[in-house]
Amino acid sequence: MSYAYLFKYIIIGDTGVGKSCLLLQFTDKRFQPVHDLTIGVEFGARMITIDNKPIKLQIWDTAGQESFRSITRSYYRGAAGALLVYDITRRETFNHLASWLEDARQHANANMTIMLIGNKCDLAHRRAVTTEEGEQFAKDHGLIFMEASAKTAQNVEEAFIKTAATIYKKIQDGVFDVSNESYGIKVGYGGIPGPSGGRDGSSSQGGGCCN
Amino acid sequence: MVGWEAIAGMFGKNAGTEDLEAFYPVRPECKADIPKTRFRPRAGKTLSARRWHAAFSEDGHLDIAKVLRRIQRGGIHPSIKGLVWEFLLGCFDPNSSFEDRNQLRQQRRERYGMWKTECQNMVPVIGSGKFITTPIITDDGQPIEDGGWHVTSAVADKKVAQWMLSLHQIGLDVVRTDRALTFYENETNQAKLWDVLAIYSWVDDDIGYVQGMNDICSPMVILLENEADAFWCFERAMRKLRENFRCSTNSIGVQSQLSTLSQVIRTVDPKLHQHLEDLDGGEYLFAFRMLMVLFRREFSFIDALYLWEIGSR
Repeated sequence: MSYAYLFKYIIIGDTGVGKSCLLLQFTDKRFQPVHDLTIGVEFGARMITIDNKPIKLQIWDTAGQESFRSITRSYYRGAAGALLVYDITRRETFNHLASWLEDARQHANANMTIMLIGNKCDLAHRRAVTTEEGEQFAKDHGLIFMEASAKTAQNVEEAFIKTAATIYKKIQDGVFDVSNESYGIKVGYGGIPGPSGGRDGSSSQGGGCCN
Repeated sequence: MVGWEAIAGMFGKNAGTEDLEAFYPVRPECKADIPKTRFRPRAGKTLSARRWHAAFSEDGHLDIAKVLRRIQRGGIHPSIKGLVWEFLLGCFDPNSSFEDRNQLRQQRRERYGMWKTECQNMVPVIGSGKFITTPIITDDGQPIEDGGWHVTSAVADKKVAQWMLSLHQIGLDVVRTDRALTFYENETNQAKLWDVLAIYSWVDDDIGYVQGMNDICSPMVILLENEADAFWCFERAMRKLRENFRCSTNSIGVQSQLSTLSQVIRTVDPKLHQHLEDLDGGEYLFAFRMLMVLFRREFSFIDALYLWEIGSR
């Protein structure tokens, strides 16, 4: 299917916070109470519409364990958006946000849009991090913030789309040189071509296995 | 009226499947989520219980060459996998006698028991049939009170702290390991996997616990009934695999295998190599999981075991 833009996302955060479940809910609209743990990096994609333009999201879902950070780092470069996820029922996953953010800031491009997600908000009775704390952290670090639930699908769609809308706005504002793929943005049909002029043209639309 | 089962039975179509399902039952609600099993035990090809027992001399020497030839042709029948795996993994020397092996097994069980006690003294939940999924100490070694199972004073020793911090991580992974198998619906079985991984990461503190080790360990825990025997099978497997799990700030051990893979592909299929290079910069990270957990996720449980069997030695 053809797109005006393709945005690359990366999902990061501690192990077991629900990164893969958020992705599954977004791409397949279903929830797996117990999801296989992610080894290395996995991948998902979906089309959305922003400003009447078809936009393809290509999403890299990473492993949460500290040991895998070296692998995760190679995916920051070339990502336009990041979803930084913690689990509102596990305090330590919130405490580790600063270290995740430091990694992202160090290895991603400076204009990467970061969405902070407090996942599992359906488990209000086990809440260990208040909404205000999440909001405050986001405010202090210039992130967008939402609480969401991969289980009930609450705010899942919104989180992915709001991130895309922010990236789209940055393109409109001329923040990116969209011809430069290291920003994690590819131009398809109907997007604003970069200086080199709609460079991937038909090749990015075609039937290649990875489009 | 003739039932569908009877018709299927007449054609013998499902005979193999039913046989295997009985050995490693899958939760009905998970059937759609897992790859289809292609392995079928085949008469005359698969190593059967009868052939296995016939391969031993009177005092217990094993004709390993004969056994390996058969395994390579058709894998191992599920009824004897655990027994055969102990030899394939090198726990026992085929030239030893029954007597030797009994002694060795006894010694190993005792050694495992000692390590387990050592761990239990630090964290009493080990060996209790339960396990943890929440941290018991903070990142800087302060105890976290919540169950009464846990640590009571600050942990100063770096090795101990590192290990304790991995325990809830192991727990979080255990509940997600082979969740499609009925075996892990049982908390005692989950705790068995947790114990083995927890004790291994204590003993091999140089590597510790890294995600993916759960996928390697799980078959041993299922095939070997005795926990200590399962541990030693896992320990043997890790002798070959542990470098894959060695993590530094800049890399993970398995990446050296990825670069070998890249060299192989570049030689045998330069065009494919070029394509892969264009896609992910030639790091071959798409194969990361395949090599890290030896195709456990690409194939069904039974098929992965079959692959390991024909790939052994």
